[in-house]
Amino acid sequence: MTKYILQRFLTAIPVLIGILFVTFALARLLPGDPCVAMLGEKANEVTCAAFNARYGLDKPIPIQFAIYFRDVLRGDLGISFRYGRPVTDLIIERLPVTIELAFAAMFLAVLGGVTLGIISARKQNSLIDVATMVGATIGFSVPVFVLGLFLAYMFAIVLKDTPFSLPPSGRLSAGMAVPSLPATLGLEKGHRLYGVASFLGNLYLLNAILHGDMALFKDALRHLILPALALATIPMSIIARMTRSSLLEVIGQDYVRTARAKGLGERAVLFRHALRNALLPVVTIIGLSLGFLLSGAVLTETIFGFSGVGRILFDSITSRDYAPIQGFTLITAIGFLFLNLVVDILYGFLDPRIRLG
Amino acid sequence: MIPTLRFWSVLAVFTAAALLLAACAGVAPTQPPAPTQPPAPTQPSAPTQPPAPTEAPLQLLSASVDSCDYGGELKAIEALDKYTVKFTLCFPDPAFPAKAADTALQIHPAEYLEATGGTGQLLEKPIGTGPYMLSEWRKGDQMIFKANPNYWGEKAKAETLVFRWSAEAAQRLVELQSGNVNGIDNPGPDDFDVIENDPNLKLYPRPGTNVFYIGMNNTYPPFDKERVRQAFAMAIDRKRIVENFYPRGSIVATQFMPPSIFGYTEGLDWYPYNPEEAKRILEEEGVLPGFKTTITYRDVVRGYLPEPGVVAQDIQAQLQAIGVEAEIVVMESGAFLDAADAGQLDGFHLLGWGADYPDATNFLDYHFGRGASKQFGNGFPDLWEVLEKAASLSDPAARLPLYKQANELIKQHVPMIPVAHGGSATAFQAVCQGAHSSPLTREKMAVIDCGSDTLVWMQNAEPISLYCADETDGETFRACEQINEALLSYEVGTTNVEPALALRYEANADLTEWTFYLRQGVKFHDGSEFDANDVVKSWEVQWDAAHPLHKGRVGDFTYFQAYFLQFKNAQ
Repeated sequence: MTKYILQRFLTAIPVLIGILFVTFALARLLPGDPCVAMLGEKANEVTCAAFNARYGLDKPIPIQFAIYFRDVLRGDLGISFRYGRPVTDLIIERLPVTIELAFAAMFLAVLGGVTLGIISARKQNSLIDVATMVGATIGFSVPVFVLGLFLAYMFAIVLKDTPFSLPPSGRLSAGMAVPSLPATLGLEKGHRLYGVASFLGNLYLLNAILHGDMALFKDALRHLILPALALATIPMSIIARMTRSSLLEVIGQDYVRTARAKGLGERAVLFRHALRNALLPVVTIIGLSLGFLLSGAVLTETIFGFSGVGRILFDSITSRDYAPIQGFTLITAIGFLFLNLVVDILYGFLDPRIRLG
Repeated sequence: MIPTLRFWSVLAVFTAAALLLAACAGVAPTQPPAPTQPPAPTQPSAPTQPPAPTEAPLQLLSASVDSCDYGGELKAIEALDKYTVKFTLCFPDPAFPAKAADTALQIHPAEYLEATGGTGQLLEKPIGTGPYMLSEWRKGDQMIFKANPNYWGEKAKAETLVFRWSAEAAQRLVELQSGNVNGIDNPGPDDFDVIENDPNLKLYPRPGTNVFYIGMNNTYPPFDKERVRQAFAMAIDRKRIVENFYPRGSIVATQFMPPSIFGYTEGLDWYPYNPEEAKRILEEEGVLPGFKTTITYRDVVRGYLPEPGVVAQDIQAQLQAIGVEAEIVVMESGAFLDAADAGQLDGFHLLGWGADYPDATNFLDYHFGRGASKQFGNGFPDLWEVLEKAASLSDPAARLPLYKQANELIKQHVPMIPVAHGGSATAFQAVCQGAHSSPLTREKMAVIDCGSDTLVWMQNAEPISLYCADETDGETFRACEQINEALLSYEVGTTNVEPALALRYEANADLTEWTFYLRQGVKFHDGSEFDANDVVKSWEVQWDAAHPLHKGRVGDFTYFQAYFLQFKNAQ
């Protein structure tokens, strides 16, 4: 096993270099000049020459890549033209936003999708079943931005001044104080763990729990509901449909009939025997939904004013801000690379018939 | 279970990778230089440490160049005494007060500039003299300000000011309608009616300080003939373009100058739309039939040109109607601007201009003065003469007739066809007293009272930094405007200049020496006293490209260069 993992790490090195090269090349292949994108009408030969010199864009592309490669090895993802700040700082600020949103959306999608799918299957061809499946089809078809605006309008304006009113955008109410986790832990800027604490502190729900601040927790949760719901709707619809069809198929199989013949109650048959097998393809869909959540987050974050990874990538692409494009793409790619390694290793644990190495 | 594991593993790995990077961030080699640790400036309870009352003699600062050959406008900045600053210019500039009022030229404590090294904390934790102090900037989420209890002027109406942002106009409107925010910037054009029909809301149209024009270069035939250019001026239905492709609040341009900027001529009208007459003239001049040309533009959305593509197509159709076949050419933005400035664009080109500072020199001298680019081909000496005369006077009453003359000459020579002044708006809850829109997008939140302790404002985007000397973005300037102040300021909702940190100013006869008399007893948010050295230092670090504090966020100081043409010690 150790040998296998070592081999995989070694083979990951050329893949990582490839990813570095591709992200670097993709950023450079974007049409348009960063100087013009940043300076607008003020861009001219003189200002652009100074701009390019400052950011090393006047050097030949291979040299730029070599410098970038060297810096990445040192843990430095570069400085954003637009923000004038290290990309690592931006990741500390923005990645928690997307992670919190993706977790919440996946939670809603699984909870809602599986529940609706089970109800639908159990009440096949009933009004509930038809309504659920029609709802799922609509949910699958409505674009995120339309749904997002609809939800915001419905919960912020139509239900205004009712207990169901929800804020239409932002992560917290205006002026809501957020305790600083680094300060609570007594970490000064420059401390090695300062960035880690800042990152965790930017997960507002976690921050609220760690500080026991229920007002903050409630406010952050209220702000998270609508964007998470908008983001979760499509995967929830898919999961509901898949759960229903898979469960119906399993319920018709011999071993379920046998379980019923043994005198088991319907609930035990469903949850102890049928559902576990029925959920296998559903689980596959849940895994595939991750890609959607990450791509869908761009629109959701824009609509709901969440400044997460999607939003900053969009802004960086429009302003030809190379460093964040490369940095955020790289961290995503590294995430998938390590994930594949983890999953391959887990295959061996989960199914002993699969031999590693 | 594998796919589920896949999902959670991705998030876990993302988190782990981010944490790793975060851990590395503290030692990242390219972290922007964090010079010395400056005093924490943003405690709302400031001033915490009033300056010691020792009366050490103030060492007056100054900065100068030996000669004006470096190409810039400034020759010297001197603190004459603790509360007097003199600016010496290389040539007359009647717009100097308008420039000195700009957000990019706000005053910072000299000591804080030194302590921050001209960057770092200066960008995120500014110390100003304004009616609000920054309390917290929660990146990506909101910016919270507290009223400055020691403000020299009228105190802010709301104790707390919150800036939020959303790129979506529809979302901003929902926030306003839901009562979560008190005011929003740039409601969508389609929402103007919704706001006006809602008794709880009020729209404040913002007059455009820009112009969209169709340029022609008089070095390419047949545009070398003035009569031909006049004919084309008659061939374009500007009203149709504005009505179809511009948001409410936009107006049809009658001249190059926007109405809200000094130098606009009341009552002057452009050539009436008359395609038949245009066609007749073009036939007489031998241009028609059979004239083929181009319409060149860059596909970049600006306030003066919100829909470049469809406007280009409409102009193409209008030209087609008089028998001119125009091919549309789309260029990359930078290449387009370079080609226009170099006079390389034959045919028509679509471009515009937004005010850097509210004075005719920023529009007319820049485009039609003796040193203008070749965008319209060869300049017009009679126009140069008038503009130079106007630029040598400081009295607005004396300058205005000259700009009337200039605007009439532009109409006669038709270097371009002015089409539109693109407008926008703000919207507030109807209960808000003092709500307004600023032509320069520098709304002053301190004068707005919505009846609660907290005023929430939502704009299009997050400010980029709070050191506006090195920024160009309107959203950023608005945030700076709440915290910092310049020598002069713009009156609420107008472009008129009024005193701010300077109580008054005066110029010598030839407008090359401007002396500003500063307000006394003004304190910065950290409790330190404002004086002439702060003015000299704040300007000097922008002016001198070799100054160790000439850093900012990117180090461009774009507006300073735009206003004063060149840096001292520029490479």
